[in-house]
Amino acid sequence: MSECTCHENPLVPQVCVITDIKKETPDVKTFRVSTRDGKKPFTPMPGQLGMFSILPVGEAMFSITAQGEDYLDFAIKKTGQLTDALHEAEIGQEVGLRGPYGNTFPVEDCKGHDLLFIGGGIGLAPVRSFIRYALEHRGDYGDIDIVYGARSPEDLCFKEDLMENWPKEKNTKVHVTVDQDLSGEWKGSVGFVPAYLESLNFSPEGRKVVLCGPPIMIKFCLQTLAKCGFKDSEVITTLEMRMKCGIGKCGRCNIGSKYVCLDGPVFTMEELSHLPNEY
Amino acid sequence: MQFKKSDLPKILDSMAKEATVLAPMKVKGNSKFAPWGTEGELDFGAQNVLLPPKDCLFPQTEKMYRFETDGLKVNDFEVINESRPTVLFGLKGCDMQSILCMDDVFLTKGYVDDFYKKKRDDLLTVCINCTTVAKECFCDSMGGSPNGHAAADIQLYDLGESYQVKAQTEKGQKAVDSWQQYCNKDEGEIKEIACELKVDMDGVPEKLAGMFEHPIWEEISRKCVGCGICTFLCPTCYCFDIDTTKDGAEGTKFRCWDSCMFSEYTRMAGGHNPRPSKKERVRNRFLHKLEYFKERYDKNLCVGCGRCVAKCPVNLDITSFIDQVKEVASHE
Ligand code: SF4
Ligand code: SF4
Ligand code: FES
Repeated sequence: MSECTCHENPLVPQVCVITDIKKETPDVKTFRVSTRDGKKPFTPMPGQLGMFSILPVGEAMFSITAQGEDYLDFAIKKTGQLTDALHEAEIGQEVGLRGPYGNTFPVEDCKGHDLLFIGGGIGLAPVRSFIRYALEHRGDYGDIDIVYGARSPEDLCFKEDLMENWPKEKNTKVHVTVDQDLSGEWKGSVGFVPAYLESLNFSPEGRKVVLCGPPIMIKFCLQTLAKCGFKDSEVITTLEMRMKCGIGKCGRCNIGSKYVCLDGPVFTMEELSHLPNEY
Repeated sequence: MQFKKSDLPKILDSMAKEATVLAPMKVKGNSKFAPWGTEGELDFGAQNVLLPPKDCLFPQTEKMYRFETDGLKVNDFEVINESRPTVLFGLKGCDMQSILCMDDVFLTKGYVDDFYKKKRDDLLTVCINCTTVAKECFCDSMGGSPNGHAAADIQLYDLGESYQVKAQTEKGQKAVDSWQQYCNKDEGEIKEIACELKVDMDGVPEKLAGMFEHPIWEEISRKCVGCGICTFLCPTCYCFDIDTTKDGAEGTKFRCWDSCMFSEYTRMAGGHNPRPSKKERVRNRFLHKLEYFKERYDKNLCVGCGRCVAKCPVNLDITSFIDQVKEVASHE
């Protein structure tokens, strides 16, 4: 667990600025955020969260999908009051930001392993922080496979990464599928992620899996992975819960005696099997 | 060391010169910890005052920061963290124990909550032992005692006509030093009492850990009306919401008490709710009180104050629940 070092008072955000906005899909935009003096607001590890606010509207927790020298990126889907307001925001909008919160993907444990990343829809947002980390520390990890699916070709997030950047990386393969294609222009696979995953037939030997997406996709992917012989302890996922404080105080995000904001959001399926099924 | 009960108002007066002195009082039919010096009558009865003392450390609504926006810009940003020296006078053992639960939540496990800490540092706690118990009291089954609390800055013992004084911390000693003119050196005999209502917590947290899917939750939650009184009156319930008020360009961020008994509590922006019905919410409240908190902080999150037992409109009684769990334990 990491201490908040950006602020003396962990519930008070720092004022930051949106420096870039990129439309990923019809309902997902990536917001790039820096401090007022052009610095990175804080340095998260892959999987960690940031509490993002438009001050007069509200705060919500999002995964940090990427970071650079002087910025953090948040890919945010339109789902409610705050995200609606965010999608209306322009470059230059000042926002509140606090964090980083939560635990991280087990980047150390995964060293020396092949990595299989599976994402569905906006679920690629948290996974992307780990993919980028693994590519930056390429020598520490074996083969990288990225399996990703979305409703339709236009709903694919991070298209540039999927189609251009990642396939160029050494020993890295990207496998993309869409639920359906009405455009008739899609050349790739059509079908749901779990079936597509099954057809790719990955071997569990020396491989760790990172799986994020809608609950129904996770459920069926887990069945596929079990069929392929993957153990629960090798499958890593992230959970989403409603959050308010982000620091394990407000009581909201508990699953049993664990707080997702503090003890999560990253859990192995093995760890989840010991928690009450209430998420 | 003792002082006469008749001198108590003078002692409270003298403390009230430098601090807000909160004491159990009856104020217009309500009973709560109210500032000494305002209208109301001291109430040291067997029954706990209805409202718990948590408000002075964790106000029902608490401003955190204010800001002013101008178009895209945030112009003014100011943290609000107000506190002043406060004395909680006349705490019972159960309510003192509830403060220790709050301390664990707000001051440990990686993050210190500044808003809480400032008020806690400004707080002096004065406990009085109970000489009679109410029928809903069961603190001594939950790890507490009606006979006082070792964590209070000052422990007073009721000897009938006078109070015997024991300073238990440096802060407490300093306060007691200023009472010297009212005190003599006498030592009296302190009578100990016990609660009449008993529950047996032995093995209950462990038992509950295996009862998440048990039919008991469906059964007991049926009568809950989801009013949230149990959490509102509970001295240890600490869940909060964070929200904003706006007045033109100015805004204030505040936090306020929330309740896990409300369905909105866990509902996510997309509509999914991990605790959609009363069953899940009642289960979470009881498991939090009797199992989860114990696992995380090694304390019961119920201090046996009896408030929810007395005031739940449908009598969903935590003590009967514990009895029921024991039954399950012996049959299965
Ligand atoms: S006081 Fe009783 S009825 Fe009201 S929410 Fe609590 S358990 Fe339910
Ligand atoms: S659960 Fe009920 S009896 Fe226990 S501390 Fe809270 S209000 Fe008091
Ligand atoms: S968001 Fe407050 S405890 Fe997790």
